[in-house]
Amino acid sequence: MAALWSNISAILPPDEAGFPLQFSDSVHSSVAELLLRCRRRLYTDRSLRILNPRDHALTLAQMVTDLSWERLNTGTWRDVDKEWRRVYAYGCLFKALALCRGDPSPERVRQAVRTCDMGLMMGASIMDNVLNSLVQILQTEVRRATKEEVPTEPRVQAKKIKLEVPPAPVIEQTTAVPRMNCPSLERFKNNNLLTNQPVILEGIINHWPALNDHSWSLEYIRSIAGCRTVPVEVGSRYTDEEWSQRLLTVNEFIDKYISVKVDDVPVGYLAQHQLFDQIPELKEDIRIPDYCCLGDEDEDNITINAWFGPSGTVSPLHQDPQHNFLAQVLGSKYIRLYSPSDSGRLYPHESPLLHNTSQVEVENPNVERFPEFVDAPYRDCVLKPGEVLFIPTQHWHYVRSLELSFSEHHHLGVR
Amino acid sequence: MNCFGFGFNAFGQISDRGKPSQGDDEEHSYTCLTPIRLKHLGGREEVAECQQGRVGTDQLSACWSRTASLCLHDQGRVFLSGFGADENGNHMSASLGCQDALLGERYLTLGFRDRVECWDVQRRDPAPAWSMESPPEEEAGASRRLPLVPGGYIASKPPFYRPLSPQLKAVSLALGAEHAILLSGSGTVFTWGIGSHGQLGHSELTPEKEPRPVEALWGVPIDSVSTGGWHSACVSAGGDLYVWGWNESGQLGLPSLAMRTSQEQKRFKGTASCQEAGPVTRGEEQKEGESQDVFISIQAFPALLDITDSCDVAKVSCGSRHTAAVTTTGDLYTWGWGEYGQLCHGTASSSDEPHCVDFFRQEGFRVVDVVCGPWNTFAMATKEEVAHC
Repeated sequence: MAALWSNISAILPPDEAGFPLQFSDSVHSSVAELLLRCRRRLYTDRSLRILNPRDHALTLAQMVTDLSWERLNTGTWRDVDKEWRRVYAYGCLFKALALCRGDPSPERVRQAVRTCDMGLMMGASIMDNVLNSLVQILQTEVRRATKEEVPTEPRVQAKKIKLEVPPAPVIEQTTAVPRMNCPSLERFKNNNLLTNQPVILEGIINHWPALNDHSWSLEYIRSIAGCRTVPVEVGSRYTDEEWSQRLLTVNEFIDKYISVKVDDVPVGYLAQHQLFDQIPELKEDIRIPDYCCLGDEDEDNITINAWFGPSGTVSPLHQDPQHNFLAQVLGSKYIRLYSPSDSGRLYPHESPLLHNTSQVEVENPNVERFPEFVDAPYRDCVLKPGEVLFIPTQHWHYVRSLELSFSEHHHLGVR
Repeated sequence: MNCFGFGFNAFGQISDRGKPSQGDDEEHSYTCLTPIRLKHLGGREEVAECQQGRVGTDQLSACWSRTASLCLHDQGRVFLSGFGADENGNHMSASLGCQDALLGERYLTLGFRDRVECWDVQRRDPAPAWSMESPPEEEAGASRRLPLVPGGYIASKPPFYRPLSPQLKAVSLALGAEHAILLSGSGTVFTWGIGSHGQLGHSELTPEKEPRPVEALWGVPIDSVSTGGWHSACVSAGGDLYVWGWNESGQLGLPSLAMRTSQEQKRFKGTASCQEAGPVTRGEEQKEGESQDVFISIQAFPALLDITDSCDVAKVSCGSRHTAAVTTTGDLYTWGWGEYGQLCHGTASSSDEPHCVDFFRQEGFRVVDVVCGPWNTFAMATKEEVAHC
């Protein structure tokens, strides 16, 4: 256990003076003072006669995370001052460190992992992404501790029930999205990217480790990311009343929403999340397709979102401002596309929050309320592992997973 | 009159014990779990006597600061406690003669007979950051309080002065972290600002630029209004309490899944060496299965909240994520986020059910008013002459 703390010390500055804590004027000086107290505690803990130094440090760090958490939840997310996201990340760092002090129980180490994840998800990057370095060390510790435990019951996976999978719609020749096998970049650019024509690209991601020697399975994902906390969407579609977001570990998510499938359990979906920034090991298993780099933006502006969920999850018909490359890694999905020129027949929601989302249930439309919808032309496809669907900017898309599915969306800014 | 404070105290805003210089080594100094008598207010024993019967001359002012608290004396002096306060416990010299004061996260607003001033509390400037002439009002019954000023109100950050339509006939106004609630002379409630958590009460989550009447309260004359970080509350003339907004910590007094889940995790954390994970998940699943539809995360329109069967509500005040109400019988009830002791339920834990703060009844006090800071609670109480039972 002492090894754990020495590993952690190695990624921290050697002394208090070398530990940066600089904030702009937008951070209240009282909060800056709390952070100074946290730092002092980190480096001088042992010399002080305190009843319970770890809890004391924990309380201080908790105050910083609580103060900045309220800031992060005030106003709209894009207007939140980045300085407060940095404060939050520092709060999480000090809290995770306080949890690992002394001889932490496995539960404390897990809490520290969760704390790092909160900082990675909501905070800004600090000290050369120290939270990521810290979480790597902690994950190794969790894996070590888990190996020592004798498993008391077989993995829930074993009793996975094969459900009646909703049938994959038959794709008519007339509506099928065209397919191309490894087109030249030039050809793709002229035929699709510049003209906003959807296409399925085949044979361009077969070399990804995720489809080869690091083949993504539930067990593999558990082993890489099992103890990591991620946001999970509960409810089959985000326009539902009961839809909510919850924070769960990947293991909890797989146990509760993927391996067991009971009728009462709501559908859970890990969606729209920048998982690959949070867990870089998974990012190593994928590549950014060259086709994504034809846009005006440089590579840093490509955002990669993960979509991981059981069968039956639905993304209602909606449009995005960016080009989108949807790469399927595991399972298959039914996808239907409508051109932005047909927006008039798609009945978008009127509220400003959902004006990019159609009110129509695509596969079961209410013809009386939405009479023109059935006349709107569309293209559709069943996307299989190894295939990439190019969804041009503003193209309406509807997605339903046909089985356990893992895919990622490479979003490309459009100027 | 006695004033008590409890809750967050990391900067000594309730008691000196929280100041780092006073006790960096003390464990529990960051929170006050039991009510502490505030030294600047009512705690002056020698004057306490002559103030009997003059209830409310000293005022505890609303403060929207996590790091300091504010007392306003009847002689027009402001005492600041906490971060940025005078180390010798003196009043702020600039405040001499002021009639009202309001403390925000960054600025202290002082209302004088003929002007309004905003002072930056973390910079010790010799002059106010902003000031404005405000002619004394013609009407004698000018009982309006900050942030209202003639013709408008003072915001917590620049631009400080914001005009209000005279048609609103504003009698009181409360500012939350990102929304505002106004009470008109006719007892109508208006809200505006960000509505992402239902805090505006218009059954929508969209923002409002201009004051918009809360239609669900139409026809219910309202007596007082209050805002929290992401929730709102008001008391009707008939003594009914209405709440709406975010219920993340149970601050609406309605069942909160988020609060119970974190409570559950705490409990398992407490039982040190338990075989983690498994039981937590199971407990949670059970609860979800049993009564999933009952939990409320966002209440986007006013809900009537009964805190006791026996009496009416007289006052309400919202903290960042908690709420406190005084009943007509002089009892204080609190609910919502309690991690810093702001509920005074004996432990530092949250509650999505209103509970009575037993301390005052036990000590023979009758609570007459309550003002919440973001993470703490201040109560004004009188000594009960006849034993209450």
